[in-house]
Amino acid sequence: MSELLRVRHLTTSFVTEAGLARAVDDVSMTLVGGETLGIVGESGCGKTVTGLSILRLIDRPGHIADESVIEYQGENLMRLSPAQLRQVRGAEIAMIFQEPTTSLNPVLAVGSQVAEAVRAHRSVSRADARARAIELFQLVGIPDPATRVDDYPHQLSGGMQQRVMIAMALSCNPKILIADEPTTALDVTIQAQILELLVDLKRRLGMAMILITHDLGIVAGVADRVAVMYGGQIVEEADTDRLFRQPAHPYTSALLRAVPRLDKPVVRLATISGTVPPATAWPSACRFHPRCPHVMDRCRAEMPGLAGVGRDHLARCWLTEEPIRSDT
Amino acid sequence: MTPDASPLLSVRHLVKEYRGTAGLWSRPAPLLAVNDVSFDLALGESLGLVGESGSGKTTVARLILRLTEATAGSIRFDGVEVFDLDTRSLRAMRRRIQIVFQDPFGSLNPRMTVGAAVREPIEVHNIAKGTAAAGKVTQLFQEVGLDPSYVDRYPHELSGGQRQRVGIARALSVEPDLLVLDEPVSALDVSVQAQVLNLLLDLRERRGLTYLFIAHDLAVVRHIAHRIIVMYAGRLVETAPAMLAYAEPIHPYTTSLLSAVPVPDPREQRRRIVLRGDMPNPRQPPTGCVFHPRCPHPRKDDRCSAEVPILRELAENRTVACHYAEEPMTAPHSQAARPVN
Repeated sequence: MSELLRVRHLTTSFVTEAGLARAVDDVSMTLVGGETLGIVGESGCGKTVTGLSILRLIDRPGHIADESVIEYQGENLMRLSPAQLRQVRGAEIAMIFQEPTTSLNPVLAVGSQVAEAVRAHRSVSRADARARAIELFQLVGIPDPATRVDDYPHQLSGGMQQRVMIAMALSCNPKILIADEPTTALDVTIQAQILELLVDLKRRLGMAMILITHDLGIVAGVADRVAVMYGGQIVEEADTDRLFRQPAHPYTSALLRAVPRLDKPVVRLATISGTVPPATAWPSACRFHPRCPHVMDRCRAEMPGLAGVGRDHLARCWLTEEPIRSDT
Repeated sequence: MTPDASPLLSVRHLVKEYRGTAGLWSRPAPLLAVNDVSFDLALGESLGLVGESGSGKTTVARLILRLTEATAGSIRFDGVEVFDLDTRSLRAMRRRIQIVFQDPFGSLNPRMTVGAAVREPIEVHNIAKGTAAAGKVTQLFQEVGLDPSYVDRYPHELSGGQRQRVGIARALSVEPDLLVLDEPVSALDVSVQAQVLNLLLDLRERRGLTYLFIAHDLAVVRHIAHRIIVMYAGRLVETAPAMLAYAEPIHPYTTSLLSAVPVPDPREQRRRIVLRGDMPNPRQPPTGCVFHPRCPHPRKDDRCSAEVPILRELAENRTVACHYAEEPMTAPHSQAARPVN
């Protein structure tokens, strides 16, 4: 598969009252056609800002460092003019968010909003755009699409609203869909529906997907590859199966042991001491060192690089000669 | 767990109806948020109340605390009818039942230091005053794993996990018997969630507390609850000892809900049931079984859309509201190891 997206040294900072926050710090990743990359991490780790930065959706007081490279099919999006960028957003790379309610205009029928998205990128008549909206509603499994297009957002359930957002995102057949916590606001049974839909659409339309989530269960079921973020950096990246079987970074293995699960006997949960540090005060050297059960002097003095620890498996840890098992 | 002869909390035929307000073009339609709910909670027991949004689980909590008045039914706490209490007795009862909310930021006064927030109920309920009260606050901070030097901080200066610890310390300050925990860890990150769950387990052990643990996350509930009750669209659909509810669910909703929980194991080979449709409109609930429009049970038939299934006892401590409870669907976790608690 060809490289679709190549991100190198992505650094995004925000000026805050508490000082400069390097929310995303030197993140590099590659996405090939048709694959699903999961980005997991706890709140404040930089996963959402990474997603927004790829589309350059960062406003002041935020800033993407000039040396960051966001290459989409060989073209560096950092060098595009605002007009050129608009042709990429939505048409080539689309994004959906956690709260469909806040992304939809409450006083406009949902079908018109989807039609508007179609017309933003294609010169088609209003009638054709509406027909396309109905077709998209059908695609995302909205029952009775010809009627639902005239509904207002409040007339739809949370799950249906998220389907509308997905329809809008797919309106121009994007090659990449960035889904930022697309099911976090939904109930478990509705979450299962939306995840099933995303997996199905991705396969049918041949899209690649970046799935941003805090839920390790969701990435396990959906992603081909996983990047774990902590402190604005990628701390581990591997094939999904390998990441869950042989996590190399102490943060990843601690996270896996801290999740209450349905498929294992009930045991006392492992905890990670302390909390996620704020982006204005990342710890020096290894950012996980204050919470790491395996901390060594070197971890306090020097930041480890993201290094290979196995086939297509990277980890940012001084300990990685001896990977730590998550479950024994 | 063998329940005592008289439970600490006994809920019978609880109903909460919200009268609809007439819109410009619509007639008022009543909404049954809680529809004929009955359950017992034994002293020292942890009961998990599980359901999705609109199930009525939070309304049940509010009714128990009398933060909302019930339309019908009875709630007996330690043998006393809660709905009959006068203001004075209600205050005494509220000392014995405390609640911890999902978002401690929303339940703490932003202008009050967290030390003062924990101290307030101690003084209001005349438990201690002056230096004795201050000493109690220090001791509570230590008990919930907070540095006592944090007493002078404001809620915004603490992390989500620390604020939830303050919420728990405040609830414990009046030495309650029953703690109603309404989604206490849902707003927390995984690593912090584990800390708070372990704290709740330790406190239960140390203080002999009784928990009503309300949550939508079945994996979280499994770590705390001895027994589970499942609600759907205002009704109780299944009650069972936790071990059995997870290993051998009977109601098709419980089975589907369990199968929908993502498991952090890419090799996991479960039978997944993806329910179609949405939660029913509470103002126009389906006829018969409230779950029938979404039910994946192969035996579903006309009886399900015509007749409301009553919650009936199938075995000791096991009740299910399903016409076909004798022929349950295959459990998604039938091979899962049994819990050890």
